[in-house]
Amino acid sequence: MKHLNSTAMVLAGTLLTFNASAQDDTTPVPTLNDSTAAQRAFNPSVSAIIDMFYYKENSDEGLSHMKEEMPGFAAHAHGDEDDHGHDHEHGYENGFNIRHIELAFAAEVDNYFKALAIAAIDEEGAEMEEAWAETTGLPYGFQAKAGKFFSNFGYINAQHAHEWDFTDQPLIYEQTLGSHGLNDVGVQVSWLAPTPVYLLFGAEVFRGENEKMWTQEEADELPENDNPRLGVGWVKLAPFHFDNSELQFGLFGASGNQQEIHEEGGGTNYFDGVHWFAGADAVYKYDSGKAYGQGDLEFQAEYFYRNKDLDQEGGDEEVSGAQDGYYIQGTYGIFPRWRTGLRWEQIGLTNEETEEDVTEEFGDSWRASAMVDFRPSEFSQVRFQVSNGDYDLGDEGVENVWEAFVQLTFSLGAHGAHKF
Amino acid sequence: MYKKTGILILALTAATVSLAGKLKVVTTTSDLASITEAVAGDLAKVNSICSGSQDPHHLQARPKYVMMARSADLWIRTGMELEIGWEMPVIDGSRNRKIRPGQPGHLDASVNIHKLEIPDASMLTRAMGDVHASGNPHYLTDPENAKHVADDIAARLAQLDPKNAETYKANAKAFSDKIDEKMAGWKQKMEPLNGKSIVTYHKSWIYFCERFGINIAIELEPKPGVPPSPTHLTQVIQTMEADDIQIILQEPWYSTKAAERVAEKTGARIIEAPIFSGSDPEAQDYISLIDLIVKRLTEQPE
Repeated sequence: MKHLNSTAMVLAGTLLTFNASAQDDTTPVPTLNDSTAAQRAFNPSVSAIIDMFYYKENSDEGLSHMKEEMPGFAAHAHGDEDDHGHDHEHGYENGFNIRHIELAFAAEVDNYFKALAIAAIDEEGAEMEEAWAETTGLPYGFQAKAGKFFSNFGYINAQHAHEWDFTDQPLIYEQTLGSHGLNDVGVQVSWLAPTPVYLLFGAEVFRGENEKMWTQEEADELPENDNPRLGVGWVKLAPFHFDNSELQFGLFGASGNQQEIHEEGGGTNYFDGVHWFAGADAVYKYDSGKAYGQGDLEFQAEYFYRNKDLDQEGGDEEVSGAQDGYYIQGTYGIFPRWRTGLRWEQIGLTNEETEEDVTEEFGDSWRASAMVDFRPSEFSQVRFQVSNGDYDLGDEGVENVWEAFVQLTFSLGAHGAHKF
Repeated sequence: MYKKTGILILALTAATVSLAGKLKVVTTTSDLASITEAVAGDLAKVNSICSGSQDPHHLQARPKYVMMARSADLWIRTGMELEIGWEMPVIDGSRNRKIRPGQPGHLDASVNIHKLEIPDASMLTRAMGDVHASGNPHYLTDPENAKHVADDIAARLAQLDPKNAETYKANAKAFSDKIDEKMAGWKQKMEPLNGKSIVTYHKSWIYFCERFGINIAIELEPKPGVPPSPTHLTQVIQTMEADDIQIILQEPWYSTKAAERVAEKTGARIIEAPIFSGSDPEAQDYISLIDLIVKRLTEQPE
């Protein structure tokens, strides 16, 4: 793993240099640049997203609290849970909620790089959501990216909250990677294969800092694992050349180091090992050709399996576990500017943990959601969403919870372009 | 391991390069593709991202477009923010540095045309609807603009492929001559509409109407990109009755419901005409597109 990480870093560095030298020889031609034509010439394009919602759910103890208690997906209770640096509550409150404002700056840095910086500002303060630069001139279909960014594995992970088709993220993402998904500091190299069909490969190396997975503990008994501790790989394939629709498949996997401290029977045991996940995704989009999105159809689905295998330091015990989950969702443009959508998801179809050679099996949970949204223009949106689900809480049984959202999203400033 | 992969990549790249005998041109819209074909003749392979029946405002950056852009030597766009919602993700995704803005392989066809409806930047807000900061981008509905675009394309093709420069220049000249020749006929046919007012669905016909002396009294959309509302349609009906307007012109991708409601009250004719070549069997290239628009506007109702 260590060797792989350093090789990836060196490779990324080499590609960055190559990118620079590759573009030197072309003579630039003056062209109007739409994004800045009416703005002051070299300022980056600036935009801000305001995203707020009213939320109501009917559980006794609070759904966000329940989600933290779900066996198999619960954060490990014994360690220092917050290695994120600060405490923030990501559960939704009954009543009004406002997501952080995404203040985005984007520009071509020079002839070699483009860059994006997004500051996420909320009532408590600001944090860095994304800050990365990407090559624009590597040959042979390569592209390299470095900084803090969303991993491009799967489909929904690389999207910001305001781009989701539902107000909340799928359970499997929330429960395995936390509310930010897989967003970390690292490097990415991707390659568009010179094949007749769209085939894109990506490899990423990250620090390995996440809300839920790949925890590191501070204890003399445990090794200090320097970052990068996490490697991610993915491939995307769009095999058809339809006129009005597109079908894309993806496969992905990630593996990183994890540490846990378990206190049992008066003793304290220290574990170090590997936590990995793998999965598949599929996206289908149909463009009806009608105005204002009427008749457009979109489907997306992702499946996710994770597996933990830790060994005791200074002992021969093992801790292991496995969980999985999936979601499938579709949206349809019922009227001009109006869409409706349905989502079905399950987590914990596989849900087990093994410690001291005893394997415990836990139950599964499901949720179904329906939404209607209206976009007065490309820059504003109102969404209504209702969800109902059964959540497995282990010994406390299964609890059914209803949720309702009314969401308002506003986008100010530069006209963003959306990726597929 | 890395060495072997490297050799494989080089071999595959060499294979794609050796296939490229002709220049590969990708245009964002089909009218640009048609003009490029007229200028390049057999010397280039031209593909359009947008088929004539798609509204280029609202495409999505799809893997298919990335594949088209990947091997392009020249990318030609309408510009004026028409493709702003999807152009850069396609170019970024293609990893084709030749066609990035600023490179010789990237041509903005709007550079030398006479632009209309450039909003006063100090007055511009999004409350005006889908207004483009650099002006109305539907300039190719005026055949005179197509001549400028053909010249620009010829100059750029000559820069990329200097040995055929004379052919490109001659082809562009022939295209312009053809437009001049047709223009007399178009103007003659459009004469009955000269000085008259019509109604259009979207603000997409101003260049055409300016060329042929037609006044656009009002649009069915209250603001660009906003679908017709009942209140606004009442205003449209009042305007049409006051000015005795007989024609509602719209692109095929808009529903005719609003126009039908207005036509019911005013007795106006609804004319659906394509705005891009390639969507209608009668309008497979740019010149036959203008022929068809003129025909639809001037044919007498049965």
